[in-house]
Amino acid sequence: MPKHIVSGLKYIAAVNLRKQGQTQREIAEALDMDRSTVSHYLNGRNLSWNSIEVAEMVTNFCPKDFLVLTHALLNDTERTRTIIQTCTDSKFKGAIRNSCIGCGLCVDTCLMKAIVLNDLKAHINCEWCCGCLICVEMCPTNSIEIKEVVD
Amino acid sequence: METTELLDGKDITVERAGEEDRTLLFKNHLCAVCGLCESICPVSAIETNPTGAMVRTEQDASKIDIDENKCVLCGMCSSICPFQALDLQIDGESIKEIAGYPHIIKSADIDDDECINCKACETACPQDAITITRELPSRAELITGEIDIDKDTCISCGMCEEMCPVDAIELDHQMPTSDNPVVATDINVDTDKCVHCGICKRICPVDAITQVCRICPYGEYEIAEPEITGTSYIDPELCVNCTWCQEICPVDAAKVTKPFEGELNIDSETCQGCETCVMVCPCNVLSFPKSTKAGVNAEKLHKDERFCIYCGACGKSCPVNAIEVKRTKINYTPTKSKAWKKAFESLEN
Repeated sequence: MPKHIVSGLKYIAAVNLRKQGQTQREIAEALDMDRSTVSHYLNGRNLSWNSIEVAEMVTNFCPKDFLVLTHALLNDTERTRTIIQTCTDSKFKGAIRNSCIGCGLCVDTCLMKAIVLNDLKAHINCEWCCGCLICVEMCPTNSIEIKEVVD
Repeated sequence: METTELLDGKDITVERAGEEDRTLLFKNHLCAVCGLCESICPVSAIETNPTGAMVRTEQDASKIDIDENKCVLCGMCSSICPFQALDLQIDGESIKEIAGYPHIIKSADIDDDECINCKACETACPQDAITITRELPSRAELITGEIDIDKDTCISCGMCEEMCPVDAIELDHQMPTSDNPVVATDINVDTDKCVHCGICKRICPVDAITQVCRICPYGEYEIAEPEITGTSYIDPELCVNCTWCQEICPVDAAKVTKPFEGELNIDSETCQGCETCVMVCPCNVLSFPKSTKAGVNAEKLHKDERFCIYCGACGKSCPVNAIEVKRTKINYTPTKSKAWKKAFESLEN
């Protein structure tokens, strides 16, 4: 079953990446798949519709559950980042308060690798932030604020 | 990603491996229990143990406890510690070497060109952090004279050997035998050792020794200026920047910058004379003066603030709060982090 969910997630990600204009070769590389599998997926073959339904449900989980589950299924940070980013519609904006002490705990816990330390302060790369709020929960000085961007 | 704690005797290592490998090292023997780490820690992970008990009795415990479940390895404790007892390393490099991290400004240097190798600093240093290695000329280079023993006149009584203050005369004693009926076979003077004091000549009962010291009749022109060479070393780990070396140096060769400025106030009325502060102070600032004569009370607790670095260890240890350490300024390198600045400033008053 976990493999089927992964297939479903990769299918949704492949479709979205194709919409973004990526070639099959690029999609295959980004999702660590064969080019032929990408081709089959994009044509709706070799995949049960049920897997896609379950995967779609997963993408609609709250951001933290979606991220943690996907990371657990794939056990690969890079693919997780790609799938989460391509399958998340919401945008998030992060701000770090001046109370940040630069301990790096958020950098270590962020599964999206969206946080870096600079001059003893954390900086969030909003392009990768998926809104899971794990960093907010972990921050010892309560210095992180993440907000969803509403158009 | 997990923070782990490792104990090695009384030393503590706290580690977290992640994007960066962070390691906090605590060296118990360097800690003066000043409590600055405890005060600055933003997550209250550090707790100092009771100072009086730590210095007065043999304890199995470390001077501080670090709760690995709270510690986030930010490094503030390492940056403020004036005693090198705490050190945060990121990927093996101390944050004291990493630009961007503030560190307290302190230094101690001995100018070897000025230093006359008197060793006063080595003796005075309360942490035994200073080593002066000096080479003195041989005695023979500082004296001039002649000595000769007439072995035919000598009766081998050994008085000169017994009296010589520098053990320069040696007889080859023996039990006389029928084939060699003498009490000593030879007598020799080590001219490198001889200081031409003339005692041997004066004690000799048979006037076998002729000795002259040439300094008096001829002046000192024959003796070259003695060459004293040496090098100084201050152990950067042990040095607490107390300025004892600077204050005691007769030629101003030592220069010290203290990490903190402030004032030290003792309430003599409250002080019970328990001596804990005297034992705790890493800078030898405090002492109990001895009474100069019967019936006269000496000052209860004496301080010399020249040596105080305002770490606060004495005040923290005092069981009756008779000592107030006011830290008015912490000298530290600039940082862009507002949180760190605020943390450093919170220790000033």
